[in-house]
Amino acid sequence: MGDIEKLAASVASLQASFEAHRYICSDEIATAVFLAYQLRKPILIEGPPGVGKTELAKTAAEMFALPLIRLQCYEGLDESKAIYEWKYGKQLLYTQVLKEALGEVLGDAQGFRESVEQLHKFGDIFFSEEFLEPRPLMKAIKEEDGCILLIDEIDKADHEFESLLLEILSDYQLSIPEIGTIKAVAEPPLVFLTSNNTREISDALKRRCLHLYIPFPDVDIEQRIVAARVPDIPPALQQQLVAFIHELRGLDLKKMPAISETIDWARTLLLLHADALDANMVRDTLNVILKFQEDIDNVKGEVAAITAKVAK
Amino acid sequence: MGVERTISNFIRALRNAEVRVSTAETLDAMSVVELVGYEDKAHLKRSLSLALPKTADEKNTFDACFDSFFQFQDVRGETASDSSSESEQEGEDSGEGGDGEGGGAGGDPQNQNRGKKKSKSKSKSKQNNLFEEEEEADLGPGEITDAHSPLGKLLMANSRVELAQSMAQAGEAINVREIQIFTQKGLYARRIMDHMGLPDLNREISDLRTDSRVPARRLGQQLKQRRDFLREQVRDYVEQQFMLNADVSGKRLREEMLRSVKLSNVEHRNFRLIQEMVYKMAKKLSTLHSRRRKVFKRGQLNVPRTLRNNMSYDGAIFDLYWKSVKVDRPKVFAICDVSGSVANYARFMLMFLYSMDEVMPKVRSFAFSSDLAEVTELFNRNKIEDAIAKVLHDYSGGSTDYGQALLDFKKLCLDDVDNRTTIIILGDARNNHGEAHAEVLRELYDRSKRVIWLNPEAKLAWNTGDSEMRKYGAYSHQVEECNSLMHLERVVSNLLRQTN
Repeated sequence: MGDIEKLAASVASLQASFEAHRYICSDEIATAVFLAYQLRKPILIEGPPGVGKTELAKTAAEMFALPLIRLQCYEGLDESKAIYEWKYGKQLLYTQVLKEALGEVLGDAQGFRESVEQLHKFGDIFFSEEFLEPRPLMKAIKEEDGCILLIDEIDKADHEFESLLLEILSDYQLSIPEIGTIKAVAEPPLVFLTSNNTREISDALKRRCLHLYIPFPDVDIEQRIVAARVPDIPPALQQQLVAFIHELRGLDLKKMPAISETIDWARTLLLLHADALDANMVRDTLNVILKFQEDIDNVKGEVAAITAKVAK
Repeated sequence: MGVERTISNFIRALRNAEVRVSTAETLDAMSVVELVGYEDKAHLKRSLSLALPKTADEKNTFDACFDSFFQFQDVRGETASDSSSESEQEGEDSGEGGDGEGGGAGGDPQNQNRGKKKSKSKSKSKQNNLFEEEEEADLGPGEITDAHSPLGKLLMANSRVELAQSMAQAGEAINVREIQIFTQKGLYARRIMDHMGLPDLNREISDLRTDSRVPARRLGQQLKQRRDFLREQVRDYVEQQFMLNADVSGKRLREEMLRSVKLSNVEHRNFRLIQEMVYKMAKKLSTLHSRRRKVFKRGQLNVPRTLRNNMSYDGAIFDLYWKSVKVDRPKVFAICDVSGSVANYARFMLMFLYSMDEVMPKVRSFAFSSDLAEVTELFNRNKIEDAIAKVLHDYSGGSTDYGQALLDFKKLCLDDVDNRTTIIILGDARNNHGEAHAEVLRELYDRSKRVIWLNPEAKLAWNTGDSEMRKYGAYSHQVEECNSLMHLERVVSNLLRQTN
């Protein structure tokens, strides 16, 4: 744990170490991780798709050298997928097997009352941890040395699922009716929740979290990101393509190109041995950064103008 | 102590600006401040902006609020009026006042005064000194007498912090927080000055200026300059208080008013506010009534659950569980008349349609004056202003023909109308004496769950002239007058409740 504490001691050290793991982050992001660690609070990360929300959690796990436990949310996700499930097959099998051994267990018990008393001595073995199949949330709680718990795209899950999360988020514990309350052992997990904002997250959940909004980065940071992720790219090309992407974000598009698209595009251009942007190549590779035909058609006409502008 | 007070004041200002901050979050903010300290303002801002605002919008508000709140007061040299915070301000004082000697004396203002006075000539040359000290030509620097009035003493003490403190105290005393409208700014500034002892000071200044002794006249000049400076400070302070405390209640007042005013009378400059309100309303309504999922006895078998629940029956499976869930969201068709006669309302109805479209998944919107067309796609593609302008431009040309519009609607999507559909028609039913085609509406009425007719005209005007309200009303489940946001809200709330 000492290492983590040292890393998370200040915003600057976090930022530097994120950078060493090729994740370039703004002051806001570093501050968020800093506070999350220091105050033991979950972070709810919102922002347009592709700005590195999930990546942040992954990099944090790598950086802190903690296991990453990921829960991908989807419509219909419920507690048996997220928290725990009884190993019903095993339970069933055991009952079948034990049926035969029942005579021995009851032994010389006389009558119904005594038999039941005999049985009571065995307790609720069928609903003990032996028969419990832990799902991501419970795994995260039981992790001895702490872990990073990533609850991805919480907005995709149903409204009710959020309520399930409240207990774990505020107290780092889970209640299972048959067993009782399970608390985080030593180190509570560092929780990241991401949301693409397809729907409003409930106030109750938001109240328990720090709220980090990651917007599209500014030119400077995006250039550093590209440089970190695609180190071989010629500097001139890198500057031009980032500038180009920023121009695109200024247009009225159905889906803005995000950082992940910028990186993909940088890789593509690198493969094509480009040294600088030229209009034809841009036109040919537009489908890497724009994901709707409509957007591509709209932008195509302006490619020459934008390329000329960013080439300056 | 002082920090907590400042933070809770700040949170108050945030709440005022409609950032929703709960008590739990207030506590979070406190521990954040404890953790990051208050030396680095940018860092503090970043940190608090993680703990307090919880949407992108709120973050913007937060930024503005933070800047205006802390521009005037430091996090520690805050408005605290209790004397216990005095010791805290030592560092601040000597730093700000640029006065090496008397700065941090704290406790006894009398002492401090004397110290300050002696070091006057020293402090004058310092850059970050509080006051501009350009003297009039006839009185050079030199000996100067002591000020007598309390405010005069305070001014001569040359301490920004104490001044701010006394200003804030005066502000509290006269309840500057209750400031409501911008015209009151002058009044409040005046009151604060008075409370701080301006009359005494004025008297002293005029006495001093006519005094024969040079040191006394010099003091008079100094005091006058500082009074003017103070006046500016107070004005800034009131300005800030106004922004933090009144701006929004002013807005709330406006919102209240706008809710009940007739939509056709809303002035152009309020459109943006209305738009915001409509959006908020639509959002509120749709989350309030967001559908819950229901488990139905059909669909795919849920094996784990079934097995588990049948264990008590010795593994014999007779109590079945199904995976299928039914998500039943209201399906709404909205038809909006955009012809000249309802032009003033059409804008708002479209605004509302647009907002509904954003917050509810299944709204299909149609606009017509003579011919009807679907505008759902147009709404999806464009921003609200553009969308509304486009719809009004493209469809508001012809003269109203409800009959034709209904026929068009039937042709377009009668097949999609089923017993879960709600059809909302926004219009005045003034058909220019054309064929009403009420039988089409009847068909829709039979097929759909509800037909709701919203008429922007007052009830008295219905069925007069060319209005066909009686004919159409017969085939509507609900007919409502709807010409203010309040009406609209009521109608939609009902609608959502019933579709649930």
